[in-house]
Amino acid sequence: MSADQLSAPGTAQAPAPVARRSARPPLTRRLPRLALHLVLITVSLAMAVPFFWMIITSLKTDPDLASHPPGLLPRVWDWANYPEALEYAPFGTYFRNSLLISIGHTALNLVMASMAGYALARIPFRGSTVVFMGVLATMMIPTYTKIVPQYLIAKGVPFFGGNDYLGRGGHGWLDSWWGLIIPGALTPFAIFLFRQFYLSLPRELEEAARIDGMGEFGIYARVMTPLVKPAIATVGLLTFESSWNNFLWPLIITSDTELRVIQVGLSAFQQADQNAWAYLMAGTTLATVPMVALFLLAQRYFVQGFANSGIK
Amino acid sequence: MRTHTSALSRRRLLGLGAAAAAGAALSACGGPAPQQGGGGDASLRLLTPIFDRADGQKLLTSLLADFKKDHPGVSVQVDYTEYGKLNEKLATSIVGGQPYDVMLMGVGWIPPFVEKGVLADLGTSRSELESTYNPRVVEPGIYEGGTYGRPILLDTRIGIYRKDILAEAGIGAPPKDMTELMEMGKELTVREGGKLTRAGVDILSNDLRQTYLPVMWAHGGDLFADGKPVFDSDEAVEALQWMVDVIRTEKIEDYGFTQKGAVVAPLIQGRAAMMIGHNDMWRQASESAPELIEEDRIGGFMLNQRRPALFQGGTLATMSAKTKHPEQAKALVEYLSGEKVSPQAAEQRGNIPAVLSAADSEYVRGNKLISFAVDNLDHAFSEGGVPAWLEIREEFKPALESALLGKSSPADSLRGLAETAEAIIAKGA
Amino acid sequence: MSSHQAVDTARRHQKPVYRSTSLPTSSPRGDRPRRRRKFGHERRRVALLLLAPSVVHLVWWIGIPVVATFVLAFTDYDILAGTVSFNGLDNFQEIFGDPTWNSSIWHTVVFTFFTVPVAMAIAVVLALLLNVKMRAAAWYRTAVFMPHVTATVAIALVWMWMFEPRLGVVNTMLSWVGIDGPAWLADPDWALFAVIVVSIWKGIGIKMLIYLAALQAMPDDVYEAARIDGASQVRQFFSITLPLLKPATFFVLVVSIIDSFQAFDQLYVLTPDGGPGNSTTVMTYEIYRTAFKEFNMGAACAQSVVLFVFLLVLMLISRRLTGKEDDVR
Repeated sequence: MSADQLSAPGTAQAPAPVARRSARPPLTRRLPRLALHLVLITVSLAMAVPFFWMIITSLKTDPDLASHPPGLLPRVWDWANYPEALEYAPFGTYFRNSLLISIGHTALNLVMASMAGYALARIPFRGSTVVFMGVLATMMIPTYTKIVPQYLIAKGVPFFGGNDYLGRGGHGWLDSWWGLIIPGALTPFAIFLFRQFYLSLPRELEEAARIDGMGEFGIYARVMTPLVKPAIATVGLLTFESSWNNFLWPLIITSDTELRVIQVGLSAFQQADQNAWAYLMAGTTLATVPMVALFLLAQRYFVQGFANSGIK
Repeated sequence: MRTHTSALSRRRLLGLGAAAAAGAALSACGGPAPQQGGGGDASLRLLTPIFDRADGQKLLTSLLADFKKDHPGVSVQVDYTEYGKLNEKLATSIVGGQPYDVMLMGVGWIPPFVEKGVLADLGTSRSELESTYNPRVVEPGIYEGGTYGRPILLDTRIGIYRKDILAEAGIGAPPKDMTELMEMGKELTVREGGKLTRAGVDILSNDLRQTYLPVMWAHGGDLFADGKPVFDSDEAVEALQWMVDVIRTEKIEDYGFTQKGAVVAPLIQGRAAMMIGHNDMWRQASESAPELIEEDRIGGFMLNQRRPALFQGGTLATMSAKTKHPEQAKALVEYLSGEKVSPQAAEQRGNIPAVLSAADSEYVRGNKLISFAVDNLDHAFSEGGVPAWLEIREEFKPALESALLGKSSPADSLRGLAETAEAIIAKGA
Repeated sequence: MSSHQAVDTARRHQKPVYRSTSLPTSSPRGDRPRRRRKFGHERRRVALLLLAPSVVHLVWWIGIPVVATFVLAFTDYDILAGTVSFNGLDNFQEIFGDPTWNSSIWHTVVFTFFTVPVAMAIAVVLALLLNVKMRAAAWYRTAVFMPHVTATVAIALVWMWMFEPRLGVVNTMLSWVGIDGPAWLADPDWALFAVIVVSIWKGIGIKMLIYLAALQAMPDDVYEAARIDGASQVRQFFSITLPLLKPATFFVLVVSIIDSFQAFDQLYVLTPDGGPGNSTTVMTYEIYRTAFKEFNMGAACAQSVVLFVFLLVLMLISRRLTGKEDDVR
């Protein structure tokens, strides 16, 4: 572990938890650790306060929300907000759709972006810088400008949805799983991130593999990629999460309620005149729980054993 | 869609090929959809921003099933959206060459959409409409002599007051004009140690433009005359001065005391005695503070100076100019805005039914702000009226704010606003 | 042994081994031309294959829209009537004649200038603190990442509540120390600041995550050498950790700037319609408004081109500052 020693001296050599319980280190060595925890607890609370507020709000009744001065905790814990919120929209369908789309995006993005990132980082070829700059440039036009052309492209995909070979006549990928999954399946962000991670791998590894007679694709897939697991975890997590929270594209490209996603469902709580506050908070809490669980699962991969991934 | 590639090549722009490809791709996609259907059978596409919640979807599904009974062979595919994303849905469908056959939209949309050839004339005469709706309610759907939209439901901005707070101060009746509103506001404002704890009149809970406009109309001002902006008239300036006085001179309410979209309106909490607000306040009160409803502590009053006025917005049903089934689409428009659907749609949204026949329904009479608005629809005014309205209305908020913040005088703010509007209209012409 | 040696070791790692010419096998264009040609050919072929899906996808789904944006910026594109005609630089004249647009550029720059560096600094410190084996770390990391995960709309509404002038948490806490807080989101002088605070809060998680991942990929041996030398921790941080974090920093910087220039959701919810006195109108909001509230697509494309140029210049500067050494070998 590297930064370990930077921030908390002495902890690196700290014995395993079981051992520590039997023979606690002297106070002078525990103090910095304690201070670290104090700092981190403070920061965590500050970061999480709005989230707790959201949960508390999701359990309040309307009169409670309107009370003046507002109370911190609900006077009545209104758990019925959750089942009631779920009746606002077909959340079962929406949940399933969001899940399928997020999984699709994540899988495709991991494969395509890691390949591209690897090629940009590890293989010198003419025009590589131009391609890289091009990848960065695609991030620089805002969503609202791209959305109309993207809609037209989706509508004009040849041979789909009654289209002819020029993409005319039908509705293309509108109202289809293709249109929901393919256009957002690759993010320049992911290519960029993978590139940066592949860059920092030492050359000896691939040279050694090459001398062993391994093919270039094998070097990418079997030697180098296993070494950037933190990047895989990061891209996977972020892709899943942004896909889960995406709202505009799924709304624009579909007209069929059967194909709508969870964020569209959440928007039902916001009306032009007045928000349904408690329901909105309940719905958002429910939509966030899977993401938090996913993060708790994935975050283990940021610490386990990758520092010893053969670089030394 | 066409692109003038000749102009492009003259400029010897780099990436000409790519540009042409992009243009070709865009125009290819914009091609017409194949002809389908015919005769009495039709598959109609409907875009609606008002049935998007589960209960709304359920209601519309059953209403459409009834429609199908009268029109066998006509099926309706519904695209549910919300007002916040309505423009995106409209724009992409229109640009994609596949507009919806029937579209529900807001009041300000009609003139620009007619001007761009998006909407079809429904061909219904004004007198025919006036047998179903209040003449003022018909108005927003009519543009240059044609009927392009039929109203389904309405929402209004009116004066709302707390009967208990006024009674406590010994005031027996709500203010009868803007001058009295100001006087009462002063009297009812409470400050503790300089801090405002109760605003006499709350004018900040709503969208600022939608608060200003009824005040302006009440003062005798108008938005446009012969397609030219007149909202810098003396009456209009007087109206804005009235608002500036509330905030700056008389300090009846502090800027920032509340804001549009706040969790709960100050009036409901008793932190305001009166407000210019949405008729939806009744529903909000019934959910957040039911005792206000049970004890009859909320009432409506008209904004009145030279004339009584209330702000009327709403949702209208329109028909696409490109529909291949005009007959069936028109039937659907009439059904959705008719005496059967309008009251149910309005009730589902907590809004005001557009049809006259619903004026005495249990729903309308059970909601005192809605029945107040219904009884005063003769004094309703709507915004819009020029094709550039969607662009012009965006300029209102900063101009009004700069006056309320004291950064410019009401006259200067409105003059600047009118000049901007003139420029926008000139650009479009 | 001196700490200088440790730092030297670090420097070698900083341009990781790809530049360590001391190892003959690692020199790509060096001493074995025959092998290189053979491998070079196959490698280029593989590079093409690896890149192909991404390039096709990017060109098709983002490339064409980007090119279309650039073309349409010079047209009068009426999205409702469906007509396009070239009008030269009219759109640019129009937008730069609009004081709201010009002030939105300034707001965007201010927003980015404060949001990005502050969030990055907090993120790197948190990543260092959290890059520790302890059982509670998972919960701390989750807490820090949570703002990023939650759908923006609901969480921005919660912040709106917290900024409420009379009853909100923020002003209540300020009143404990005797400060009479402003109306925040309703106050033209403070709205942008409030939005920046929320954006920093929301942006820390993802940056922390990337730094954390980068720290995990760091070699231990340099630190060991430094530790044996007795280099102080501060010195280790500045002479080893920070230089090794350069590729990650380049990435975080570029992505954060792009994100920040395109911030929309939280601003839209916290300060609807451009905020009090248009004080939180940013470029992306103006683009949205021009395109979908006014249906003036040509001008919106021109605005997007301006945004693009800003980002391009900033990216080139970032590359100068942090990314120069990670050029493709």
